[in-house]
Amino acid sequence: MNRVKNSLKTTRRSFLKGAVTLGAAAALGGYAGLTRNSPLNLFEAASAAPAGEEKLIKTICPHCSVGCGTLGRVVDGVFVGQEAWADNPLNLGGMCSKGASIRDIVVSEKRLKYPMEKSGGVWKRITWDEAINKIAGKMNEIREKYGPDSVMLLGSAKTTLHESYLQRKFAAFWGSNNVDHQARICHSTTVGGLIPTWGHGAQTDNYNDLRHSKCLFFIGSNAAEAHPVAMQHALIAKERGAKIVVADPRFTRTASKADLHLRLRPGTDIPLILAICNVIVNNKWHDTAFIEARTHGFDEFWDVCKDYTPELAEDITGVPADKIKEVARIFKENGPMAIIWSMGGTQHSVGSQNIRSYAILQLLLGYVGKSGGGCAALRGHDNVQGTTDMGCLSHYLPGYQSVSSEPAWKMWCNIWGIGYDDMVKRFASKDLMLRNGMTDSRWYEGAIRDDINQPNRIKMVIVWGHSLNSITQMKKEKKALEEVEMIVNIDPRATMTSSLPERNDGIIILPAATVMEKEGMVVTSGRSAQWRYKVIDPLFESKSDLEILKLLADKLGFGQYFTYSSVDDIYTKEICKGVRSIGMMGRTPDRIRKHMENSSTFDPENIMARGGPCDGEYYGLPWPCWDEKHPGTPLLWDDSKPVSKGGHDFRALWGDKVADNKYKLHVGESMLKAEGGKKMYSNAAGVNYALDTTGEAVQLALAAGDPPTGRGRARFWAWDLTDPVPIHREPIESPRPDLIAKYPTYADKDKTYYRVPCEFKTAQNPELVKKFPIILTTGRQVEHMGGGAQTRGSKILAEIQPDMYVEINPTLAGNIGVKEGEMVWVESNQGKVLVKAKITERVNEKTVFMPYHWAGVFEGASYEDRYPEGTGEYVYGDSCNIVTAPGYDEITAMQETKVGLCNVYKAQGG
Amino acid sequence: MPTNKFLVDTSRCIRCTGCEAACKQFNEVPQGIRRLRVVTINEGKPGETNVPMPCMHCTKPPCLSACPVTAIYKRDDGVVLVNKDKCIGCGYCLYACPFGAPQFPDTGLFGSKGKMDKCTFCIEPFNQKDEDGNLIQREAKPRCSVFCGTKALLAGDIGAITEEYKKRIAGKLPSGAVPDVA
Repeated sequence: MNRVKNSLKTTRRSFLKGAVTLGAAAALGGYAGLTRNSPLNLFEAASAAPAGEEKLIKTICPHCSVGCGTLGRVVDGVFVGQEAWADNPLNLGGMCSKGASIRDIVVSEKRLKYPMEKSGGVWKRITWDEAINKIAGKMNEIREKYGPDSVMLLGSAKTTLHESYLQRKFAAFWGSNNVDHQARICHSTTVGGLIPTWGHGAQTDNYNDLRHSKCLFFIGSNAAEAHPVAMQHALIAKERGAKIVVADPRFTRTASKADLHLRLRPGTDIPLILAICNVIVNNKWHDTAFIEARTHGFDEFWDVCKDYTPELAEDITGVPADKIKEVARIFKENGPMAIIWSMGGTQHSVGSQNIRSYAILQLLLGYVGKSGGGCAALRGHDNVQGTTDMGCLSHYLPGYQSVSSEPAWKMWCNIWGIGYDDMVKRFASKDLMLRNGMTDSRWYEGAIRDDINQPNRIKMVIVWGHSLNSITQMKKEKKALEEVEMIVNIDPRATMTSSLPERNDGIIILPAATVMEKEGMVVTSGRSAQWRYKVIDPLFESKSDLEILKLLADKLGFGQYFTYSSVDDIYTKEICKGVRSIGMMGRTPDRIRKHMENSSTFDPENIMARGGPCDGEYYGLPWPCWDEKHPGTPLLWDDSKPVSKGGHDFRALWGDKVADNKYKLHVGESMLKAEGGKKMYSNAAGVNYALDTTGEAVQLALAAGDPPTGRGRARFWAWDLTDPVPIHREPIESPRPDLIAKYPTYADKDKTYYRVPCEFKTAQNPELVKKFPIILTTGRQVEHMGGGAQTRGSKILAEIQPDMYVEINPTLAGNIGVKEGEMVWVESNQGKVLVKAKITERVNEKTVFMPYHWAGVFEGASYEDRYPEGTGEYVYGDSCNIVTAPGYDEITAMQETKVGLCNVYKAQGG
Repeated sequence: MPTNKFLVDTSRCIRCTGCEAACKQFNEVPQGIRRLRVVTINEGKPGETNVPMPCMHCTKPPCLSACPVTAIYKRDDGVVLVNKDKCIGCGYCLYACPFGAPQFPDTGLFGSKGKMDKCTFCIEPFNQKDEDGNLIQREAKPRCSVFCGTKALLAGDIGAITEEYKKRIAGKLPSGAVPDVA
């Protein structure tokens, strides 16, 4: 124990000591020589009055999905500082601490500088040639011995659009669907909940449109910390009279701006929402005209909802019935209302159904497809909307085409210039080609168990831009990393991927360029694309992901499919051509760059350009953007405008009639809009618009004034889901045995669930609360991002937020005898972490909270010395995902980090 | 000549600490020195309020009066600066300042605290002089304010920022009425 404590103290002390030495330029002498022929010391450059002229380069923040623009100050190829991009319509120059210190991450001396290999317990510098040869050699060896499915590729939401697209394409050419990325643990359930409801899985509005809301309902979103600049628009709405309601187990910084805070028990969103719906319908506040004309299945919904009274919900959620009634009235009287959620909504075993319940509330009130209304799924990363669109996921091809769809494979093979049969041969079998792969959230299971739905275990993992400490079950993950034959970590920084496993050999790390060192499109949560210009050339020996993909593809023998004359070609010849389902056709790099250059002409009120070369277009051409003349669609489902001006309608995804279903209900009823309903468009040969690369179907639709997606109905009742209407199901780790009996979770899943069996019912143990009586929830700190590998390596951010902690209510702290700043153990059924106590009333006495950005300490033991020399972070902490619960969303395998059970006690000598 | 001031719209501040980071990166402020810090009161409770605290560039700066070597001076545009060549690191300005604005690179009871540093309205970086020994004097444009994520921290001429704030509390935006989005 003392050893642990001491090592932690040392960590902190060495950080502070580092603070002193780092301020001195002498410590960085060796660093300056590594910049591209520049004599300037990067840390001193800004004040050194360099001889060269200063250039300002428009670039996009690499952190959350707001898409804040900023200007990189560059002198003689050296990134000397940042300026505010004041006329970027999304952020008007505003940045949070992460965005305002991007340069600090790029020039951090803790970055990876050259490829390295761990062999014989020692980290050695190797050349790029050696590294690529070894990686490709091992991949081929594994293909021979175990088949291509024994390599797991974890891609990244931090890549540009074309790089993410190529990561997915790379997996296809490698011959496996075992490819996934952070979207799985970010908003997969948003897609899993929204597509079955109305056909697309993205945020329906955009950040700027929040300004026009009359009420903002944050549920499971702490935007003030996770999406700070979104609050600019939210607080403008408040100044204009909008109400703010925050439903969150914590009194967050967002809640501090609210008119009403509902402190619900984690994992009880559905009963809360259903009770609000219950009050709305009982008072006849619902929009019957809208429901009649544009939705289906209201009666089936009401059949479930009528039982969720505010009183019942009070027992389940802990929110007083009176407050639920008050909220329902606020929503009715202050319309349109926008629902805003983030990982507090998505990361649950009922995540997809949580999101469906939010969408249903909006359908009920008719607040969909209107300015100020809609569903704002605030996505996590700077390009996670884009990387999701590109299908870097184990169940999708680019454009949300299922891997089980042969026509989709055929279309992509056609675009990629390879015969379908030749593609099939690249896979172990056609059956495996059409089968969902393993997920980001549970890939490690594939490396440590045999009852999996593929021939052999995962034997090699390539982690390409992902901090593994953001994935739950870290002890299993550690074991998996120890079992596989080779680990490849491609990242600007040495992450837990290379320092988590106890092994002496078989780890290769490649230095990837940071996002500021390459160009490409990135997509905000509001579906707007921006062009991120390259600020500087890659430092040291780092290479862009695009270059690395090409090197690997060449070595593996399929490089000819990864040869492009320019970055633009990847977009115009492949992405815009093939990602048709969501309308990428009109979003060419030239048009997006034109938007960047003319950013001042876009009105922050509605992101539309007034005058100038982009007149009438919406900033970043939010998808769907049907052709090269289309202005983009700022609000999904908005049927008040012509399609040519950005109008839209519910996607007719279910054909024109309700299909035969297991309930034998409503079969044959119309699924098209009451007036002017249209099926999804197809071309003359009957090929759906999404697969029709001739573009004929799209032009037919536009000529008729319709979206190619048709004009259909949204579904209250989704007959093809396990729960056609959302119902309450207790979390996997629930503190209420009585409610587990009444509202149990789903049945266990067999190995067809993304290739690995998963326990639901079996894992839900009503006795667990006796041993672990406190609810654990997790979330973000504003200064850090994701697994924190980049931000904890920033001197500025490490200074502003140096601490991993657990938030404990003063009453609970008093009961367990813990004082502010003392070290405590947080222990669960999965493991335990040693963290600092932060006593605060943000949480109630039944709940504790931990941020998830921390790593480098594992169950109290410092792993600092496991990072290769010269790399690592400025601040370390134990990882909360060692203790989070083993729950997963039934539809998407999203991890359940937002509710689990734990115990908290004082560490000896703490 | 404008009279420069900061004005914090606390209803907008969410403690994103963008101001702190922007200040650090633009002025190359070393670790341990905080020219600006966001202070939170009632944390985690109703009434939680965040206030970014830079130097307030007082009309009658008590630090200036307390300085025994006249290292602190006030420019015509209202910005209070310190001449680091003159500063003896006594720390009296810190005792005088009601906001804790003066910062010192070193600590220790009897040793020198080092030269005082504080917010300069972004006129001077931490190292006041360039390589040739010339005093750096940039435009008075605080980056904490232009980078502010929610535009809570207003800076500039006292008349202009008062006007902006008045418009906000009147429930209107500077750009006027809400345009028709449809």
